[in-house]
Formats: sequence, structure tokens, C-alpha cells
Amino acid sequence: MSKYYATIGLEMHCEGSETNSKVFSPAKNEYSDIPNENVVAIDMGFPGILPVVNKEAVRMSIMMASVLHARIPEYMYFERKNYYYPDLPKGYQITQNPPEECVGNGGYIDIERDDESTFRVEIDNLHLEEDAARSTHLYDTTMINYNRAGAPLFELVTKPCIHSADDAVSFLEYIRTIYQYCGISEADAKKGQIRCDVNVSISEDENSLGTKVEMKNVNSFAAVRDAINYEIQRQSDLKDAGRYDEVVQETRRWDEESGTTITMRSKEDALDYKYFVDPNIPKYKIEPEWVKEIQSSIPELPSERKEKYINKLGLTPFETKKLIRDKSLSDYFEECLQLGINPKEASNWISENIVAYMNKNELEISDIYLNPKMLKFILDKLSEGTISSKQAKEVLVKVLDEKKEPSNFINKENAQISDPDELGKIIDEIISSNPAQVEQYRSGKDRIFDFFVGQVMKNTRGKANPITTKELLKEKLK
Amino acid sequence: MKYMNKSIEELHESLKKGEVTSKELIDESLELSHEVQEKYNAFVTILDNAKETEITDNLLSGIPFGVKDNYSTKGVLSTGSSNTLKNYVPFFDATAYENLKNAGAIMVNKTVMDELGMGGTGTTGHTGVVRNPWDKTRMCAGSSSGSACAVAAGVYPYATGSDTGDSIRKPAAYCGIVGYKPTYGMISRYGLFAFASSLDHLGVLTRNVKDAAIVVDNMKGIDKRDMTSWDSSDINLTKSLTGNIKGKKLCYIKEICDINNYKNPSDELKKQLKNFMDKIELIRNNGIQVDEVSIDQTLLNAIASTYVIISCAEATSNMSNLTGLAFGPRGEGDNYIDAIKDHRTKGFSPLIKRRFVIGSYVLQKENQERYFKNAQRVRRLLVDEWKKLYKDYDAVILPVGTGPAKKLEGSSLDSLTEGTEALEEHLQVGNFGGFPSITIPDGFIDGLPVALNITGNCKDDENILNIAYGIESLMDYKNQIAKEEE
Amino acid sequence: MSKFTKEMVDDYADKLLIGLTPEENKQVLDEFDVIDKNCDIVNSIPNISSVVPMTHCLDDFEVELREDVAEESVPIDELLSNCEQAIDREIEVPKVVGK
Repeated sequence: MSKYYATIGLEMHCEGSETNSKVFSPAKNEYSDIPNENVVAIDMGFPGILPVVNKEAVRMSIMMASVLHARIPEYMYFERKNYYYPDLPKGYQITQNPPEECVGNGGYIDIERDDESTFRVEIDNLHLEEDAARSTHLYDTTMINYNRAGAPLFELVTKPCIHSADDAVSFLEYIRTIYQYCGISEADAKKGQIRCDVNVSISEDENSLGTKVEMKNVNSFAAVRDAINYEIQRQSDLKDAGRYDEVVQETRRWDEESGTTITMRSKEDALDYKYFVDPNIPKYKIEPEWVKEIQSSIPELPSERKEKYINKLGLTPFETKKLIRDKSLSDYFEECLQLGINPKEASNWISENIVAYMNKNELEISDIYLNPKMLKFILDKLSEGTISSKQAKEVLVKVLDEKKEPSNFINKENAQISDPDELGKIIDEIISSNPAQVEQYRSGKDRIFDFFVGQVMKNTRGKANPITTKELLKEKLK
Repeated sequence: MKYMNKSIEELHESLKKGEVTSKELIDESLELSHEVQEKYNAFVTILDNAKETEITDNLLSGIPFGVKDNYSTKGVLSTGSSNTLKNYVPFFDATAYENLKNAGAIMVNKTVMDELGMGGTGTTGHTGVVRNPWDKTRMCAGSSSGSACAVAAGVYPYATGSDTGDSIRKPAAYCGIVGYKPTYGMISRYGLFAFASSLDHLGVLTRNVKDAAIVVDNMKGIDKRDMTSWDSSDINLTKSLTGNIKGKKLCYIKEICDINNYKNPSDELKKQLKNFMDKIELIRNNGIQVDEVSIDQTLLNAIASTYVIISCAEATSNMSNLTGLAFGPRGEGDNYIDAIKDHRTKGFSPLIKRRFVIGSYVLQKENQERYFKNAQRVRRLLVDEWKKLYKDYDAVILPVGTGPAKKLEGSSLDSLTEGTEALEEHLQVGNFGGFPSITIPDGFIDGLPVALNITGNCKDDENILNIAYGIESLMDYKNQIAKEEE
Repeated sequence: MSKFTKEMVDDYADKLLIGLTPEENKQVLDEFDVIDKNCDIVNSIPNISSVVPMTHCLDDFEVELREDVAEESVPIDELLSNCEQAIDREIEVPKVVGK
């Protein structure tokens, strides 16, 4: 652990996956395996094209800015960021530049850590911009696919106010859930929908700032954590060795394989993007009524669901955290509640059994076959006593594996024996065939009770309802 | 020349009456195109397969016309007169061109221009210099040089153009015809190769004001593909031409028009300004008030560099798409940087390379305040000055340039000479403010045509065209066809 | 004399991915000087920095944002019709180093 005070700033790019069309282009905004399938003239930068702003993308950006308590400007306009790269067909990216004109200026968000303490992250700005095309690098050529060119991109820039890798990741995870809950983005890092640039510096204490090093394109939260920790260590080691001057303001890239950061070509650092206001997009007045309308339509946020789960449904913070970290999971949980499943039960079954299965098989909640209705079916059978708890777990896994309705796995064959008369007969038989053990139990040897339970189970091949069995045994052995 | 020297209305009449067919007009126009091409080099492409259209109530139906080569025309070569686009065939139409097509107009050729619009002489196109049909040793000005030349030579009644700093209105002057640039946003810019987006206007070159009104009525309209376009459906330019302009109030600028303002004026300049003042007299004698006003000389002197800075800066950005990667001739190089550099170094003419470097310089972070932002500030000051005038006057009327078309050899072509006179560059204010602006011929100097320009306030196009129409009828220079001096 | 040098001009051109001949370089230098002198004049206008820069051609656009409806994509053969080096459905460019 470094003895220095680390300061971290984040730039989080999140793809707006939920609009129908791109942000300045009317082409379809959808992932496709087929290259150049969702492309119109402007996406490839042909001469004579003009940008037209997507209202829905603006609405989403205003919503996000509101959630971040940012100041929304009176007029919205865009600037051009000029540079040459094959994945940038116009030769410039349409974006927003200084904080004042961005759709969200300033703001803050409070983040909860695992230990339930909170910290506040100050936001510098949130702005709307367009994504670049996709390049596939081959041996000595590169292929360009413009499907993604022009897709909406939400960029969130924090002030340098985060002080540990864990906090950085907590922040990113929370923002991700907000994007999901607001219906702005799937925010799936695995699909490449989230990209982060991270700035790290170290100093003696909180009153000073060291040299800032930027790391580009860190594309998973795990990588963010590792990259920050590595960089803090790298800078600290140099400072300890009296070589702090070797820490220069530069851009480095995180190399997953070696687990290190590597200097990028310095040519990148010297770029002047020649920002200027795009004359093709007139200044758009953001009507206060529209902002009010958008703000009142903000869906239930993760923090609100958390409140609800803890205070109204009686779940623990730990249980709650597991459910709300992914909107689809939380939605699944809420659907279970709507079907009448008890919250604690639903929470346990989801977190323990379903999520475990998902993790083992690398699936998302949207991929699994077992829906809340099916879960209810299984849990009902369990509470009726038709199946045991162990059996319920088995059925659940079978449903997930074989993608068949649960009723296929619950039948007379497998059914648990819960009928007291039936069980009573079996128990009577066992008692009468084991007089010695009965004698031992009645004379105080409590442990021998398990022997009887075992016998019942053996006799019924494990299908006896354990609770009913134990009750009946206690009765009959008196 | 049987028909192509006539006006649009005359042609429409003849077509309707059956005196001539659309096909015959096309044939005549194509024949003239080849002749003009031979003599003056006005065209990049001549569409020998142009097809006739049905004659409807639309005045433009069945009639041939020309399109400047920076308009995207689907399936037809569109080069912008640049080697970077020498083989470029768009798969979509510019909205303005589409509108004319829908009106039944027939494109018969694509006209030469100054490369990508960035020039004012007609000498920088990749297929060579466009010569003036009044005098082959002189230029047509630019950048709509080919369009002006063709209309003046009688190939057809009109050709489309674009105007970023005077590119319709000055060639019109040098070629003795009418050049009209409507209010910014009246005609959609979608499909027009962008030069400087905040200054680019589409417009038309014709031989009389009414034709200009008819054509622009058909080109204009709000376009969902251009956010800067606006709804002009309640504007009918043709109907507004009553010719009744008594009581209108015009003004001209003393610092530009007063011969005493110039140290050592040339004979040509003296003639130019005298001719202009004579015409002002004529206008006054017909019941129109024309006042002399004064504008700060410093501001006037700043027009040229303001234009250069803003236009070069925006151009540099707009033309960053010309890399030869997705379209255009691929450059050589084993990495993308070299490939792009090769395409651009070979593809651009020396003039616009220089313009790009200037544009790039003024946009650098450390330079923006002093150059780019200040230029945008001067732009606002100039626009405000003109708008102040419009509170009291319908239009500003001024001579175009220091005299007739300049010689191709022997004039300092295109470099930015010091102290460029406001007289040469005042038309740029029309672009700064998006003002409707029209040039009409107003005389001859040494056998060559000269012109005056009328510029009004935004969206006041009906009024401005009507004033031009009225003034045009006071003079004798309507519908003239270029005649080379023996 | 001038604050502009040949090297500066070459540098700017290079960043634009354009090559200049020595002649062209000289012409740019001359033009820079002219513009610079004019900018001195502009800077002498009183209170120039308090004027709001004009970023668009008109100040009073009636702006309507586009409804979020996706348009038909352009057929691949049209998109690639002007590309000299395309393979299958993608554009091929020479190696992009780094990044």
C-alpha cells in the first residue's frame, strides 16, 4: 500500500444503446454482426452531409444531468473536435467542450461503499457526443465498420476527488446502474458499452496535487481497479526512489496481459483539437418546462429501490445490494413480488441459487430460462410440502439446464411424502421393528432420534418430508 | 441560337404552345454546351443522355439548366473541381437539386468552379481555367465561374451556384448577368459540398431578375436534413415582382463609393464609380430615395481578413473528410497517415492548401482568441452595422468590385494583397449576416460588363428582389448574351 | 522580422496531413503576415473582447430536434461504390499503428 495520498479523476464513456437512431444521424442505432448494415451517408462523412440532433438522446442527457444534480444550460450547442483517424469519417467528432455549454455542468452524486459509509463525487460535466467507427486491426491492414459511427455517447467527467481504486469502482458501478435504471443504456461493459479514461496522481497529502497521469481506454471495472492500483504503486515507487521527476504528465495505456501501464506514443499528447462551435447545429433553447417534465419522469433510481427493499420489504442491506446492482435482476425480483412470492424468500432464491447458476455458466438474467412464474411454481410446491427444500433446489437447476417447465420434474415419482397417515404407517412399522432403539430413546438418549429419521428416509428413499417426519416421530416416540 | 437565349417564361410559353419540344431544347443546349466547352472550358461533365421531361404548369418543366459541380447529383460525377473527388459519384441528391428535378427541370451539364468553392477567379478548378465569354483573356471570377460563363454564353436560362464570400454575385458581375443569393437557410444546404458552413449559401445565376425568382422559388424549402433551413412556404418571390418600387429607400456607403476616398485611383476605378453614381441618379429620378451613409473605415477594412479567417478555419474542418479512404483516389502509403497525406498533397491545388494551413493556424488553441474569435466578433459588429442601416433603409446598394473582369495574365491572382479594398470585398457582409443579396448588370466599361449589388435584411427576399426587378427595368442590361469583342 | 517561420508553416501543414512545396510555404508566410497585420487593426477596435463572437450565420433559428425514428440504411454497394479498397462489406485501410 502506498503511503501517499492518491487523487483520481474519471472520464466514463457510456454508449446510449436505447435510442432507435443515432445521435446526429438518422441511421439505426443497433448492434449488428453484419458490418456496415446500419449506415447512412453522414456516418461515412461523404461531402454535403449535415448533422441533425436526436431529440430522445437530448432528453436522456437532460435526465442524467438532473440525476447528477448538474446545472442544465439555457442553450444547448455542440462543438467540433478535429483530428485525423480512419475511424473518424468526418475528420471531426461532434461533442460538447467547455463545462459551461455541456448538458450537465457541475453536480455531484453520493456513493455508498460496501461498508455502508458514503462519499461524494463532484462532477465536472456530463456531455453528449457521437461515437467513432469500429476498426479491426489485421496484420498489416485495418478494416473499418461504420455501424457504430455516430452512435450516441454519454461522457461523464468527474473532478479529481476520488482517492482509492475501490471508491472509483464503486462510483462506476453505481453510475452504470443509474444508466440502466433510467433506460439510457444497457451499460454492459462486456459488450464494450462502457469505456473509461482514468487520471491518477499522488501527493504528500490532501492539500497538494501531484503530476497527473492519464490512462486511456480501460474497459472493464476490474481493469480500472487494477490499473489505478498499479499506477499508484508505480508513481509511489518512483517517488520513494527520489525519481518523481520521471513521472510526467502523459497518456499511458493499460496493458491487461502484463498488468502494467505503458506509455503511448507521445505524438498523441501534442494534439490540439481546434475546438470550435459547429455552425451546422443552431443553438437549441432547452425549455424549462421540458426539463421539469423530464425530471418528473425519472424512473425509480437504485437508491430509491434500496430504500424500499430495506425499509418496506425488510431485506438486509447486504441482500439489497446484491439485487439492485443490476436493473434486470432487480426487475426480476420485483416481478416475483408481484406474483406473491415472499420478499425474503425471493431474495434468497435469486441471490443464492439463480445468481450462482448464472455466474457459473456466465449468463445474464435475461438469458436464463427460469422466469418468476416458474420460480413461484416451485416455491409453492415446496410450501405445500410436495417437495423438499433439497428437491426444490434440484428442480430449479434442472429447469435451468434442460430449459423445460418445472412441472416436468415434479411428479408422483419424485414427490415428497408429506401425508401424515402414510408417514404415520411407515413410522409405526419402524418403531415396532426397532424396540431396542425405542427403549434407548425413551431412557434419554436423544441422539438416537436421528437413527429413526434415517430409517424413515431409507424406507422412503429420501422422499419423506423431513419436518412432518420429525413431528410425527416425536409424537409417536413419547 | 433559337431558344436557349430566351427567358424561362418565354420558353415555358413556347413549350406549352407546342412550338418547341423539351427534347429540342435539350439538343440545342447540348450543342451549345460543347461549343462553350471548346471555347471557354465551363464544364466538368456534359450529359449527352439528358432526357426530356413532361411539360406541366411548373415554369421550369422541360427546360435545361446547369448545376455547379459542388452539388451532389446522384449517379452523376460530382467533383467540386478537385482532384480529391475526380471520380466521385454520389449516391444521393442535394435537396436543392432534387427540388429542381421534381419541378421537371433537366440538368444538362455540371459546371466548373474554383476548387471546392475556395477561390474567386475561376482559375483553380482541376480541369483548368474558365474563360470569360465577353473576353477570352479575362476571368469569370469565382467560384461559380462555369455557371456564370454558361448562362452568359446562352447555353440555358439558368445555372445553380453557391456563394460563400461572393461566389455567385461576383461572377455574375464579370459575366454581365444576374446572380442571386437568398437569405441563409432558405435553400437547404444538404448535399452541397461544405466550404464554410456558417457562410455557405446556395443560389442561382440567370439573365434577368424574374428568372432568378422563379428558380429560387423552386429550390427553396425547409429540409429536415438541414437544421439551419427554415420554412419559407409563405414566401413567393415570383409573385412579389410587381416592379412597383416608388417610395423605397436605399443607401450606399460613402467610404466605398466616394472616389475621393482613394489615393491614386486608376482610370478604370474612376469609370466604375462614375457609372455607379450615374445609375444612382437614374434611380433617384424615378422616385426612389437613395442616401449616402457612413460606416467606420476600420470595420470596412477588416472585412477581408474576417472572411479569410472564418472561411479558412471552417473549411479546414469541413474538408477533413477528404482522406481518400472511403471515397476519392486512394493515396499511397504503408500506413494510414502517409496514405491520407499523399491523397491530400496530390489532390489539392496550391491555393487551397495554403488556405487550409491558415485555417488550421487560426484555430489552434493559443491563437483562437486573437484570430478566430476576434474575426467572429468583427463579423457581429459588421452585421450589426448593416442591421442598423436596415432600420431606416430597405437595402444597401453598392458597385461590385473595382471594375470589369480582370485579366487572367498579369493580375495578382488570389494572394491576399495588403489593404484589399472594401470595394472588392463588401459582398462578404452578405454572407456574414445571411442577408439576401442580388447582383444585376448596370453598364459597360471598355466594352466589358459591370454590375451593382443590392443587399437587404434577412428574410426580406421578396422586397429585395422586387427592388432589383424595378431597378433592372430602368436600365438596358436585361437578358444580355455575351459577345466577344472583335 | 515576422513572427512566423518556415518551420511553423511546415508543422501546421504536416498536422493537416498536407505537404507543401517551398514555394507554397513562402506564399503562406506572406499571407500570414497580411492577416496578422489586419488582426492588429482589429485588436485596436475599442471593447472588441466584450463583443459576443458570431458562431452561426443567423441568430434566430427556429430549431426543431429530430424525432427518434430510424431511417432505412443505405445499401452496401452504394456505400462502397466510391471506395477503391473495400473487402467484403468493409473498407480496408493501411495499417493503423498504436492505439
